[in-house]
Amino acid sequence: MAIIEMRNLTYHYPLAETPALHGIDLEVQQGEFLAVVGANGSGKSSLCYALSGFVPHFFKGKLEGQLNIAGIDTHQSGLMDFVRRVGLVFQNPFNQISGSKFSVYEEIAFGLENLAVPPTEMRARIDAMLDLTGIRDLADRSPYALSGGQQQRLALASILVMQPQVLILDEPTSQLDPIGSREVFQVIKDLSRQGMTIVMAEHKIEWVAEFADRMLVLSQGEIIGNGKPSEILSLPQLPEHGVGISRYTTVARLAQKEGLWPSDQALPVTLTEAVAGFQEALG
Amino acid sequence: MMVQLESRPDPEDQAQTGYRIQVKEVKFSYPGGVQALAGVSLEIQPGELVAVVGQNGAGKTTLARVLNGLLRPEQGEVWIGDWDTRQYDVSRLARRVGYVFQNPDDQLFCRTVGEEVGFGPRNLKFSPQRSAELTRRAIELTELQGKELLNPYDLSPTWRKMVAMASILAMDTPVLIFDEPTTGQDAGSVRRIGGIIASLHQSGKTVIAITHDIDFCAENFERMIVMGAGKILLDGPVSQTLAEKEILSSTYVEQPQLTRLGQRLGFEQVILNSAEFMRAIRKSQPPSSPE
Amino acid sequence: MSDRLSFYVERSSLLHRLNPLTKLTLAFTLIFLAFFGPGYWLPAGLYLFVLIPLSFLGGVGKDFVRTSLRLLLPLFLFLFVMQSLFYPGGKTVIFSLWIFSVKSEGMAFAFLTASRILVMVSSFLLLFLCTHPSALMNDLARRGAPAALSYIITSTLQILPQMQAKASAIQDAQSSRGLNTGGNLIQRTRSLLPLVGPLVFGSLVDIEERAIAIEARGFMLPEKKTSLIDIPDTRPEAIFRWGMLLLILLTTGYRLWPS
Repeated sequence: MAIIEMRNLTYHYPLAETPALHGIDLEVQQGEFLAVVGANGSGKSSLCYALSGFVPHFFKGKLEGQLNIAGIDTHQSGLMDFVRRVGLVFQNPFNQISGSKFSVYEEIAFGLENLAVPPTEMRARIDAMLDLTGIRDLADRSPYALSGGQQQRLALASILVMQPQVLILDEPTSQLDPIGSREVFQVIKDLSRQGMTIVMAEHKIEWVAEFADRMLVLSQGEIIGNGKPSEILSLPQLPEHGVGISRYTTVARLAQKEGLWPSDQALPVTLTEAVAGFQEALG
Repeated sequence: MMVQLESRPDPEDQAQTGYRIQVKEVKFSYPGGVQALAGVSLEIQPGELVAVVGQNGAGKTTLARVLNGLLRPEQGEVWIGDWDTRQYDVSRLARRVGYVFQNPDDQLFCRTVGEEVGFGPRNLKFSPQRSAELTRRAIELTELQGKELLNPYDLSPTWRKMVAMASILAMDTPVLIFDEPTTGQDAGSVRRIGGIIASLHQSGKTVIAITHDIDFCAENFERMIVMGAGKILLDGPVSQTLAEKEILSSTYVEQPQLTRLGQRLGFEQVILNSAEFMRAIRKSQPPSSPE
Repeated sequence: MSDRLSFYVERSSLLHRLNPLTKLTLAFTLIFLAFFGPGYWLPAGLYLFVLIPLSFLGGVGKDFVRTSLRLLLPLFLFLFVMQSLFYPGGKTVIFSLWIFSVKSEGMAFAFLTASRILVMVSSFLLLFLCTHPSALMNDLARRGAPAALSYIITSTLQILPQMQAKASAIQDAQSSRGLNTGGNLIQRTRSLLPLVGPLVFGSLVDIEERAIAIEARGFMLPEKKTSLIDIPDTRPEAIFRWGMLLLILLTTGYRLWPS
């Protein structure tokens, strides 16, 4: 039973003539990790907002088509129903600090307070999240005294503590340096292993290719590819749609044209695949 | 896509060609005691293409700000040509050093893209004809043609970054500093930025970029400076510095994808881009392949 | 990034242990008394004999006196000059300088006004020195204050240092484009838009994102919010608060009673 089912979804922002999303068909099983790639402006963020209910319930505008997620129907439910079931973490770690709490520990509690969780239950849940995201030793610090990577892990902890059924991530490492990105990717990888359903928009193709079960490619609001990462990333039309492919894929394709890549091997996305393929080619 | 930008000297300045940048034993600490630069010395010749890498806190941004005068060295000196940065206001140094900040929203305030791009030339008191010409070229270089009359805040963040970049390019400074130019950009935009940097280099500008993106660095720059804990750990041609695996990993800088691939395949040469990789792979073919 | 987001100084004094509402009630009562209570010397007396001792009881005496005087000294000076010279209806001239004459009625009025303002500002100062804003907001929210209100107050406290940092970044960016931010009045006025513009527009973008973030964390959920931190309240304190309220009523009565 698919936990996310989207049928022919089309969305126009208020006063917009061109739709931000057009005819999107999408199915995600429980526990799956779906990566969403595409150029800036292709609709990745709009899709994330649609899955978390902010489109249309926060941004208004016109939404057509069907969306069922975690048992609710977007046309019958309000933003509050989404908030109880779907978690959203987006690009800017700084703007996700609530602004009403003075320590990391209390910041994570914010969501639990809003959900009216009894105080006796809160501490255990917060402690679990601190450990999951590796920020336990930052618990007493001000949220503003953290690095970008730490703030983004705090955002993750603050959303996960609310126990969403689906986690939507809109380019969570875009604004982070390599170390911060690695820290965040580690948490996401652990979550996926523990069975969380994840939809993640991302530019760092090599990373998502390794951990995503499936990949969706968007261009100008439409789906132009939907399948296993290895299949998607060998599609030749990706660069013209502004999607970056890993350099391993690029050189393997160039090598393929000159017969320097083993004919029976799929194009590589990761370093390991590239090394294996080229070692074979070199004999 | 290459557009030529002339480094036409300002009538006020004596120098006909670019400026040599000299950093002499610079130390700098922020209020609160954090020492960001612990004695840095370097020299950049006019027209060089330099990338500065290192983890957050290594001192890259501090170094950049000391170069355009936003920060004054506590000890040591910084010279842009014959100007000692301690004697000149930031707004005066802006004539020689253009700084493209990471967040475009810290700059944008005009009603139209055209006005925004023209802001810099206006501040530098260029003649109306020169301002118009520089604005036109900067807009062409950043592919903003057709958007001149739009409000910058109606554009997406990617295009706002281009507006901010164009507004600095229009100042026609002989030296340009880019602070994390590719963060958050998609592949197409990264390609565009690489093209802009190549054009600038072709016109003889000195280009310095602070970047986390090691692949971008390898593919677009000639010289790489690696910083760690307020000091320069490595400084040299990109292929040379990238070969120093131990020092790089000690400061959490990873090698570019193709460099790693080349090393794993046993290539001697440090691979910086696809073309070099293909050449190396062809050379490594067993002799039975037709050449 | 500023770590010091509030005046709060951590101590384990009696004052710190009191329920936030008790301290808030006390502050309001003192202010009410200062403005409407009987006696010319009452406000000054409240400051010297109630607030200062309380601050030492709370272990924040030095901070309190230092900050309250630093805040109030310029105000005093201004008031004294204005009221002493321009107080209408003053008759008793103390001394004259050129066309200005200092009247004693003016000086008296200035002293009263200044001491009233001193009590007002320092009451809140003492409150904030001994009460963590989180605790204050939690307590008010628990007692039924709208969540939006407490959010606005706490987020404003936090936004100020961030706004400062943003304004500084904007100034750096614009001066690097050749903008001269110093100079004469005309130059400074011209550089206002490039400095304020990005601050406003950038803040609008940030505000929208933050609104999404707090919505996603359930801020607008209809349930009555619970609180992680339990703030104790005691019966003696509740009685004390009613006592303060009584004092306010008596003072009001005194004011309204035709005498």
